Formats: sequence, structure tokens, C-alpha cells
Amino acid sequence: MKLRRSMLFLPGSKAAMLSTAFVYKPDCVMFDLEDAVSLREKDSARLMVFHILRTDAYKGIETVVRINPLNTPYGLKDLEAAIRAGADAVRLPKTDCANDIHELDAEVARIEMECGCPIGRTKLLAAIESASGVINAVSIATASKRMIGIALAGFDYVIDMQSQRGDGAKPELFYARCAVLHAARAAGIDAFDVVYSDINDDAGFLKEVELIRHLGFNGKSLIHPRQIELLHNAYAPTEKEVSYSRRVIEAAAKAEKEGVGVIALDGKMIDAPIVSQAQRVLQRAEASGIRR
Amino acid sequence: MRIITEAVAGSLESSDLLVKVSPSRDKTLEIYVTSDVIEQFGTQIRHVVDDTLKRLAVTDGLIVIEDKGALDYAIRARVQTAVLRGAACKELNWEQLS
Amino acid sequence: MPAELRFHTVHASESPQESKQIEQLLTESDLGWDSRVETFVVCRKGAALVACAGIDRNVVKCVAISPAFRGTSLSLQLGGELLKVAMERGHFHLFLYTKPDNTVFFRGWGFYPLVEVRDKVALMENSPIAIRRYCSDLRALRKHGGKIGCIVMNANPFTLGHRYLADVAAESCDWLHVFIVREEASMFSYAERYELASQGLSHIKNITVHHGSEYIVSRATFPSYFLKGKCTVDQCFTAIDLLLFREHIAPALEITYRYVGTEPACPVTSRYNKDMKHWLETADSRSPSIEVVVVPRITLRGSPISASEVRRLLQNKSLQEIKEMVPETTMCQLINCFGDQRRETEMTDGDDH
Repeated sequence: MKLRRSMLFLPGSKAAMLSTAFVYKPDCVMFDLEDAVSLREKDSARLMVFHILRTDAYKGIETVVRINPLNTPYGLKDLEAAIRAGADAVRLPKTDCANDIHELDAEVARIEMECGCPIGRTKLLAAIESASGVINAVSIATASKRMIGIALAGFDYVIDMQSQRGDGAKPELFYARCAVLHAARAAGIDAFDVVYSDINDDAGFLKEVELIRHLGFNGKSLIHPRQIELLHNAYAPTEKEVSYSRRVIEAAAKAEKEGVGVIALDGKMIDAPIVSQAQRVLQRAEASGIRR
Repeated sequence: MRIITEAVAGSLESSDLLVKVSPSRDKTLEIYVTSDVIEQFGTQIRHVVDDTLKRLAVTDGLIVIEDKGALDYAIRARVQTAVLRGAACKELNWEQLS
Repeated sequence: MPAELRFHTVHASESPQESKQIEQLLTESDLGWDSRVETFVVCRKGAALVACAGIDRNVVKCVAISPAFRGTSLSLQLGGELLKVAMERGHFHLFLYTKPDNTVFFRGWGFYPLVEVRDKVALMENSPIAIRRYCSDLRALRKHGGKIGCIVMNANPFTLGHRYLADVAAESCDWLHVFIVREEASMFSYAERYELASQGLSHIKNITVHHGSEYIVSRATFPSYFLKGKCTVDQCFTAIDLLLFREHIAPALEITYRYVGTEPACPVTSRYNKDMKHWLETADSRSPSIEVVVVPRITLRGSPISASEVRRLLQNKSLQEIKEMVPETTMCQLINCFGDQRRETEMTDGDDH
């Protein structure tokens, strides 16, 4: 079970960030060739990302490349660069319907074959940035076996919806968040929440993290390294959650050992989903300890 | 690859480098590198630049590099970008770039 | 993702309000507003203007950064943005004017010092090797001799006055190097001027007619020269051009004498001649001094022959009167070209070199 709490965005054109961001140890890093890169720098950023991926600077961190849409002059070249450099996944912006993923899937398969990498190695992420995308979230999430996650991108979505960016619980994202989550769960993949742009507002950031964690988001897109530790800590389980989870795992192990079909703890029946949840809790505890 | 026009890639920001290429006047390949860390890393920088140019089959041109502490990957990327721009080459030959 | 610092380009004549803010920022940095600079790259943090850099074709000046942002990555980003704007307009080789104390800062922008007038102004270029390569090319054209002379002329067009000056100089030197001003800012194009000068000087055996460059009387080294109308004598800042000549060009060709014609009429040119004596002969410099020889112009019926007079006659279509002022080679060209109305180009007064 890959932990994907933090997805750190890095502009593909900024050498200083590419050279050093791995020290912050995010779960995933997203090399951006799309919105963070100006048109005249697209070619340059593509090669920067290609070459940094070929080093082992980001070993141990899941590498994602946000390519430009395939209907731009850049998208296909970005895809070639990402796959040939061995990126773990490719993130497609502005995914509106399942066909967008089908198209991408076909190109990825073709490129993998051409460059002799194992077919199926490159995973996919879809970014939902419009009303259509939200409506089609389920079909998008299930459009390909390569799909590992679906992310909500708030900036463009809000514009498409003709709503307005708000503070706090952001009511304008309410439905979209839920839709994306449900699609992710139905497809058995991860769900990612929007970026929090005010990097100096820790309290606001944490409040939002609390909300999305409760909703069930697996992780969040981040635009600044200092958000990583805040997020990881917020996702860390409490002492109480950890000790309970340990007991669940112990009970499950005991039941298995005894060949008993039913797991019991404190007089209650524990079924499979609770065991999975306990495993996730302990995984997060292992990654970043107990919540401070 | 032949450099047919003046081109620039990269930036002056820390950890980056600015690569300027222009056509050679006399079919020679001239490479100039300036860097604050030329003493410690000059040879290494030069080695990466030479290798990158060789793989792109660049045999003549004027290459002027202002290094700001870039790592090898950035040197390769920016040199390749400058050369591709200077050669007005839109097609990417991944064998040459890898 | 919205960025905190935003860069954009301002055209001074089109944005009076932004220009005012730029002027204020410059004043705060002890810099003057240069009305010749049309384009600025500016940086805003939110609504506040925090940095600016002016560019006039390939010359950078009026760079100011708000104190709070000095020493941050904004400086380098500004330099990068400026470079992009310049390159988009086809300018790769850039020059930069700044105070001598600031040359260290601009090294970070990839600029290297060319010449400096102590405590006053410094000129830089964005290449570690351009001037070196230029001088190395010149060195290959060295001629031997104890007395090597030089004339820099615009030759707009080449007249008998120019020929006379060259004759006098060539006679008293072992070799004469003539440079034709490269900038396209005259009635006659550079190609025409060079061609006419070459033809008009072909009778001289010990001469090389060089192509001009950005380093000799160019918009970069001597911006005042290319101003429309007369600039006041105070504003003519000839030192940079002359020091560049003394410290780089002259040593490359082993030039020890510079020849120039008298200028009785135009105060700007007359000032330049006076400055020439100062900066080439007497001023403090790491390079040996160059003797300036002022040669009285030849006259026609009492008036010195001047290129500006030839142009005036051309505009009045008085071709006959010009015959006595220019060599045959120039006359042929004038007759060929001057059937129709000549397109008015940026002309400069006082460019009687």
C-alpha cells in the first residue's frame, strides 16, 4: 500500500528546486511541465525533468510528471520524456472524460513498447478541473488499469463553475470533493485534494487538512516544502488510534493462527475493512510517528 | 547537429546555468565556461558539456556558459536545449539526448 | 498556481501611470529617469512596484531594486526576465550602464566590465569573451610600423573632406586604420557608407578600411551621438567610447595616433574633439596615451566641406553643387540613387565624422 499523503509540486523549469526538493522527503513529487512553465520554456523544462529523473536523486520518492494536455504541441513530447526517463506516473491535467484517459493510455503503451520498458510500468493520475470532469469522475477513475489516483484541481474548476474561491471549508468545492472521493473509492484508487496557496497560513492549511482527512482523501497536492511536515503530522495517527490498531492486528493474527473465521476484540466482531484501516493507521505511524 | 542561429537556454539563478550558443565563424568548436566554482568543478563541468555536445554531434559553434552551481543533470538539460534551439530542431532524438 | 512576484513589460510612452512609479523607484535608488528608455521590465509584489530594469535596444540601464528585495532571488529573476525580453527582440549581445560600485552586482547577471570612468559610470557587456575575441580579430590585422594612425568616420556620405583627412593622416603614418561607424542611423545605410568610403580611399596604399562595430561610436558606447537634434554639451558623455578605444581597440592594432577634422560649426562635435584630447591623451588610464591630431578641414570657397552640407543639398535636389564636394565615386552613387524622394531616416545633426 503506497502512502501518498503529500504530493509536492515542483516547477520543471526551476533548477534550484529540482536539485534539492528530495531532502524534504514528500511521499510523491510532481514535476510540473504544465501551468508552472511558460510557453517559451516548455522545451527547456522538459529536458530538465527528463534528466533529473534519470539520476537517483528521487529514489524512494514516487515520481509523477504533469504533462501538458495531449492536444497541445507539448503533451506528447512531455509523455515521451517522462516515460523514457522512468517516471513512476504521469498526471493528465484537465481530464474531462474517460476518453481522455483512453487516449493517454494508448500513447503510454505505444511509447513503453517503443523504448522497451515493461508494459504497464507507467501509472496514471487524472486531474479533475472542470464540471464535466467532476460529473465523469467515476468513468475517469475506472478508465484504465494504470490509474492510481484522481486529483481535484481547484483553481480551474472554480472558474469553470463560475463560482468564487472562498475561505475555510470552501463550500464551492464541496460537491467536487465528494464526487472525486466517491469515484476514487469505487475504483479502488487514491484521491487527492487541492493545493493550499497561502503558504504562510499554517492554521488555515491545517484546518483544511483536517477536513479532507476526515472526508477520506489519501493526500493533498502541496506547493511548498514546509507544508509537507505539517501534512504528515496531521495525517499521523494519535496514540490512541495506534494502540487500538495494534490490538486489531494482533487479534487478526491470533484468529488466523487459531484457524478461527471470526476476529473478536473487546466483545465486538472485527471485519476485514477494519483490519485494512488498522494497517493503514500503522503504516502512517511508521512513516511519521504519532501525531504531535 | 548544426548550430545555425544564436540561442540561449537556462537562467542566472542559483543551481542553474545560462548557455548561449551561436554559429561558428570558422568551423571550430569553442567552449567558454565561467563559474564561481571553476577551480573545484571546472573540469567536471567541461566534461559534461563536451559529452553532451558530442552525443548531439555538434562539431562547430561558439558555446558560452555562465554556471551558477548547476549539477550535471542541469548542465546536460540546458546545453541540449540551447543546441536544439540553435539548430532550430523540433524533433527529439531520445538516443542522442539520453 | 499564482506566483507572488509578477514580472511584466512596460512601454513608457503608453503607460504614464506606471512610468511615474518607475521614476519614483529610480529616484529612491539615486538614479535619474532616462527619457530615452522606452521599455522596462518591472516586478510587482501584489500592487507594489518593487524592481525595474530599462532596456533601449541592446543597452540596459535604469536598473533599480527596492531595498527590501536586494540580495534575494528577485535580482536574478529580474535579470533573467530582462534577458528574455531582449532576446525576443533579437538582441543577444547586451551592454549595460551602471555606477562603478554596482559592477559586482551585475556580474551575477552575466555582465562583464568593459570600461569605467572612475566614480562616474561603467559600461559592461553580457559576455566574458566578446571584447577579447573582437580585439583578437583586430590583432590579426595589425600592420608594423612606429606610427600607426586611426580615423573613425560616419561618412554620411563620403566627401572630399573625409578624403583629405585620410590623405593627411596616411602621409604622416606608417599605416592608417579607418573605421566606419556601424550603426544604421544615417541617411545613407552602413553598406553604402562603407562602400563609398572604400572606393574613395582606394588610392591610399597604407590603409585598412575596417567595418565598424558595437564597440566604436555605437548606440551602446556613445548613445548621445545618435540623439535627434542637438543634445546639450553637458549631456554628451564621450568618455566611455573614447576609453574603450584607448584601452581595447588601440592596443590591439598598436594605434598611437588618432586623427580628426576640426569642427568650427557644431558645438557637439567640437566638444567631442576636446574630450578626445582629454580621454585619449591626458586622462588617467592603464593604457598608454594616444596622440590626437586635429586637422583643419579643407574648404570650398571659404566653407569647410561637410557631409551635412552635402545632405542638405541632396534634400534640395541640388546635385550640381555637390559635384565639387565629393569624389567621383560618391557622385556616381548619388546620381544613381537620387531620382525619387529619399525615405527619411533617423538623422543626426553634428555627425560630420
